[in-house]
Amino acid sequence: MRDPDQPDLDAHPELRRGWDRRQLLRSAAAGTALLALGGALYRIAADDLTRKARAEKRTDGRARLPPGQRVIEKLKDMGGDPGDGQAKSFRLRVHGHVKTPYELDYAQLLKLPQVEQTADVHCVTGWTVIGALFKGVQLATLAEKAGVKDGVRHVVLEAAHGYTANAPYAEAITPQNLVTYRMNGKPFALQHGAPVRGLIPDLYFWKSAKWLTGIKFVKDDEPGYWEVRGYHNHADPWKEERYA
Amino acid sequence: MEKVPSETVASPGNVVLTTIKKRWRAWLRALHRDVGYLAVGLTIIYAVSGLAINHIEDWDPNFKTYEKSYTIEPIDPALEDDAAVALALERLKVQGTPRSTYRAGDEVHLDFDSKRFVVIGDQVTEQGRSSRFFFRVANWLHYNRGKKAWTYVADVYAVLLLYLACSGLFMLKGKLGLRWRGALLVGLGAAVPIGYVVWSGGPDAANKQRAAPDAPSTSDERPDPP
Repeated sequence: MRDPDQPDLDAHPELRRGWDRRQLLRSAAAGTALLALGGALYRIAADDLTRKARAEKRTDGRARLPPGQRVIEKLKDMGGDPGDGQAKSFRLRVHGHVKTPYELDYAQLLKLPQVEQTADVHCVTGWTVIGALFKGVQLATLAEKAGVKDGVRHVVLEAAHGYTANAPYAEAITPQNLVTYRMNGKPFALQHGAPVRGLIPDLYFWKSAKWLTGIKFVKDDEPGYWEVRGYHNHADPWKEERYA
Repeated sequence: MEKVPSETVASPGNVVLTTIKKRWRAWLRALHRDVGYLAVGLTIIYAVSGLAINHIEDWDPNFKTYEKSYTIEPIDPALEDDAAVALALERLKVQGTPRSTYRAGDEVHLDFDSKRFVVIGDQVTEQGRSSRFFFRVANWLHYNRGKKAWTYVADVYAVLLLYLACSGLFMLKGKLGLRWRGALLVGLGAAVPIGYVVWSGGPDAANKQRAAPDAPSTSDERPDPP
């Protein structure tokens, strides 16, 4: 029996082409709507971590989750030009406005006083990883060993292929900032900065330079790779300092 | 001899003009078709790479990576470096010769061409990565990382795309052309970016929001990832 909503295509074959096209468009629209709905439901259901983090406060009184961020379970690969990733060839040059510039290899880095701490990291693109355990050496320890001279106000993290990221000295030498080589008990994968990366968790994560090669202490600010490309010079996630 | 009125003389200029008037749409279509054929390869590269890069937050468009963790019998910290490396290789039962080995503190590193093992005590982390050949090449071209001659190729391609877009407007006449369906769809296509800029506040929206004290956050922008 013929569908009363459908024209009699046998009696009017000239309508067949238009009707088929209309059906196709309807089916495509319905399929797209279904997919979008499924995606939205999946996203809402998967965002329990974000809801929980939003309800928490840090010890300094700030919200645990900065505005505009959502929690994911592990670091995302955000690209960049990797270093060779090998601990064997790793060298960290600590220099700039210091009394005793020096260079460390990986084994020497591991012999310095080590700390293990949990930290949340916040990517400028909107994702956050909370409660990760990092192991490494405090930037303050490296600064002290170099003997930072008076007048230093900024730190530049140097990385493979000329990447740099700057941070105010006073903020960089607070205890949570590290040169780190392990996360959650594991070495970093190449795409996450192996063998050693910076960790400045209270600034957006691009400041925590991957494939670290140097720490430079300077008197005058030296905006880094992203800072001269339109990103914020300071990058405080709680103030949403994403762009300049 | 009878004099012919000047307006009826088929001068070469008039012939050309008449031919253009009659044939321009056919030429436009023919050129559109050939430029379209020419642009297929680059369009596939740019479009596929664009999709890949657009979702860089959700996947790595250049490499496939993996990480495995397992345990082995721990390596004795008192062993000499060479002996520790040899023992780690034996216990991991991995084929081939490592490209490089290294020991520091409680860690033994074994680097192979496409994977590496880091042994910390009895914990082993195996990490590997391999290139997604097509995407990596397409993304490299899309980002114009190589510079040099590709800048000119990309410029020419952009001009070809402009031609395709503009010529497409005039390929058909009447109701299927700009008179009705064409105008509607062109308007719709233009309304999408204009509407989005109006709705989102445009490139200065984040700065304005930051300047406004106590403004609620609405930022979910996805810039190029640092």
